[in-house]
Amino acid sequence: MPDVFWLWAGLPTTLQDALLALALLAPGLVAGIVVLRGLSPWPLVRAMLGRFSAANVVFVALIAISVGIGVGLTAQERGLRQGSALAAEKFDLVVAAPGSEITLMLAAVYLQPSDVPLVSGAQYAEIAATERVSLAAPIAFGDSHDGAPVVGTTADFVAHLSGGLAEGRLFETAEEAVAGAYAPVALGEALTPEHGHGPTAEDESHADFAYTVTGRMAPTGSPWDRAILVPVEGVWAVHGLADGHAPENAGRIGPPFDPDYFPGTPAVLVRSDELWAHYGLKSRFTRPDLMAFFPGTVLAQLHVIMGDVRAAMSLLAVVTQVLVTVAVLAGLMILTRIFARGLALLRALGAPLRYVFAVVWGYSAALILVGALAGLVVGLAAASVLSRMVTARTDVLVSATLGWPELHLIAGFVSLTLLLALLPAWSAVRRPIVPDLRA
Amino acid sequence: MPATAASECPGLALSVTDLRVAAPGGRLLLSLPGLDLPAGRSLAVRGPSGAGKSTLLHALAGLLTDVEGAVRWGETDLLSLTDPARAAFRRARVGLVFQDFLLFEELGAEANAALAAGFAPASQRAAIRQRARSALDRLGLGGTSGRLAASFSDGERQRIAIARALAHDPAVILADEPTASLDRAAADRLIDDLVALSREDGRTLVVVSHDPALTERLDQSVEIVDGHLREGHHA
Ligand SMILES: Nc1ncnc2c1ncn2[C@@H]1O[C@H](COP(=O)(O)OP(=O)(O)OP(=O)(O)O)[C@@H](O)[C@H]1O
Ligand SMILES: [Mg+2]
Repeated sequence: MPDVFWLWAGLPTTLQDALLALALLAPGLVAGIVVLRGLSPWPLVRAMLGRFSAANVVFVALIAISVGIGVGLTAQERGLRQGSALAAEKFDLVVAAPGSEITLMLAAVYLQPSDVPLVSGAQYAEIAATERVSLAAPIAFGDSHDGAPVVGTTADFVAHLSGGLAEGRLFETAEEAVAGAYAPVALGEALTPEHGHGPTAEDESHADFAYTVTGRMAPTGSPWDRAILVPVEGVWAVHGLADGHAPENAGRIGPPFDPDYFPGTPAVLVRSDELWAHYGLKSRFTRPDLMAFFPGTVLAQLHVIMGDVRAAMSLLAVVTQVLVTVAVLAGLMILTRIFARGLALLRALGAPLRYVFAVVWGYSAALILVGALAGLVVGLAAASVLSRMVTARTDVLVSATLGWPELHLIAGFVSLTLLLALLPAWSAVRRPIVPDLRA
Repeated sequence: MPATAASECPGLALSVTDLRVAAPGGRLLLSLPGLDLPAGRSLAVRGPSGAGKSTLLHALAGLLTDVEGAVRWGETDLLSLTDPARAAFRRARVGLVFQDFLLFEELGAEANAALAAGFAPASQRAAIRQRARSALDRLGLGGTSGRLAASFSDGERQRIAIARALAHDPAVILADEPTASLDRAAADRLIDDLVALSREDGRTLVVVSHDPALTERLDQSVEIVDGHLREGHHA
C-alpha cells in the first residue's frame, strides 16, 4: 500500500490529474462500452433526438446551465485567487508602522485608500541601511488624478514593478511621472494631482503643481496599472512638506533621504536580492514600533479564511449538481415514456432487450454529453465575462481558464449521470409491450 | 385445401388450441377452443369492434403474458417460450403490420422499412436492407427512400410498414387492421399487394379487420364476436 502511495506521489501532477479525470470518467465509459458493444442504435437515437426536439433542447440547456455554473464558479474562484496573488508578487516585504496588515496590504498592493500611521525618517533610514536590503522604496498614496491613484515612490521601485517600461523613460525630477499601463493619461501630458480619491477628492487642491508624464509601465496585472507613479518628493512637495532632502540637496530625487527632512511614508517596500534574506528582514522589523509582513502570506491567509467559504460554496455546487442529477434522471424517465410506443414497436418486431436498452441509454447519453460539453462552454464564457468585470472594477487581472478541477467536475457529473441513465433504460424495457403498443 | 407440400412452402402452419386470454383484472377477453391455418395460406379475422381481434393477433405474435393454451407455429410452441425466445422468434419469423403504421417519423422510408437491420445479426443486415428496398420498389415507393416518413400520405405510410414487415423475409405476416385509415380504393389496393406479396413467397398471412370485403380476398376467414369464435370458410 505505501508503495502504491509513493508511486502515485511520484507521478507528475498533470499525470495525476489526467488519471483522476480518467478514473472519474471510467464508470460511465465502462457502462457505455458494455451497453453499446456490438450494437449501433444511433439511427434511432438520432430519430429520438429529432422528435420533440424542443424538449430535448430544454433538457440539454438544463444540463448545460447547471454544469456551466459549476465550471464557471470553480474557474472564476481559482482565477480570482491566482490573479490577486499575482498582483502581490512584486511586493516581497512591506514594512510599516504597526497596524492592520490586511489594511496595509490592501492599501499598498491593491491601492485601496486608507489612513495609516507613517514610518518616520529615522526608521526609514534604518531600514534602507540594513544589510542585504537592495530596495527600500517609500510608497506614499492618497492623491489621485481623474480617478486614478497618484502614488509617490522611487524610480527603482517603478523599474522593479514594471520590469522595464513599455515606452518613454523613468521620472528624473519631482515634476515628472510614469503612467501605469492603463492610466488615463498620455505620454507628455501634464497632470494636476487632487487630494484624496473619488468624489471627495478636492479638485484644484494642488492646482499650482503639475507632473509631466515621461513614461508608461508595461502591464503588471495589478491595480498599479491604473495608477500614476510619481517621485515621492513630488507628493511631499504638493502637500507643503519637506521633500526628504536637506536644502543643499534641493532638486535631488530618490534615496538616500535625509531623516531630518523626511515627512514620513505609510509603507516601505523592502526587497533583498537574496530570497532567503527576506525572512530575516521580516523578523528584524517586526517589533513594537514597526511591523513587517509578506503580502503574499497575508493574502494566502485570507484565502485560507475564505477557504471555508469556498468549501461551503463547493458544497452548494455539489448539492446543486446532485439536484440537477436527480432532475436529469426524472427528465430522462419522462422523455423515455414519450417514446414508449416506438420502443414497444421495436420489441413487438422482435428487437432484443439489449438493443432497446442501448437505444434508450444512447439517447440519454447523447443528451448528457451534449449538455455537459455545452456546459463547459457556458461555464468558461460566464467565467470570462465575470473575470473581465472583476478586472475592470479592481484592476486585478483575473483570467479564468479551464483547469483540472473543472474537468474533474464534468467527468464526475457525466460518469454519474451516464450510470443513472441505466435506470430509465432499464425501466423502459421492463414495461409490458401491448399496453404501450395500444397507447 | 390445396395439396401444397409443407416442405415447398416457407410459411408456417398455425395451430391454436384452448387459447384463453384474460385481462389483468381477470375478465376473459378471448376464448378459442381451436384454430388452424395451413402453411402459406391466408386468414381473415373479422368481427365487431371490441370483439378481441387485436387480442388474438397479439396472442399469435407472442406479445401477451396472461395467456393459457397453445399457439403453435410449425413446430414452435410459442407460449412455452421465454420472452427473449419469443422475441427471437418474431425477429426471425414474424412480420407485423399495425393499423396506424407505427413508423419512426424522423427516419427515412428505407430506414423505417429496414428497421430490423438495426438489431439483426450483422450477417443479415445487408440482405434486410436489400429486401426493404425491393419491397418499397414493388409497392411503388422506389426512389423515395430518403424522404422522412412524416412526409408520406397514409396509404404510402402503410406501404412502408408492409415493406418493413417483409424486409426480414418472415414466414408469417400478421396485420392488425392495416387498411383502417385508408379510403376504399387505397384499402383494396393495399390488401391486394399484401396478399400478392405473401402468396408469391408462400408466407402465412393473418389479417385482422372489421372490413367484410376482406373475406373475399383471403383463403379462410373467421369471425370473432365477444371473445368467441364464429367460424366460416370462403371458397
Ligand atoms: N388491458 C386490458 N384490460 C381490460 N380490458 C382490455 C384490455 N385490453 C383489451 N381489453 C378489452 O378487450 C376487448 C378486446 O379488445 P381488442 O382490442 O382485442 O378488440 P378488437 O376486436 O381489436 O377491437 P377493434 O376492432 O376496435 O380494434 C375490448 O373490450 C377491450 O376493451
Ligand atoms: Mg383491434
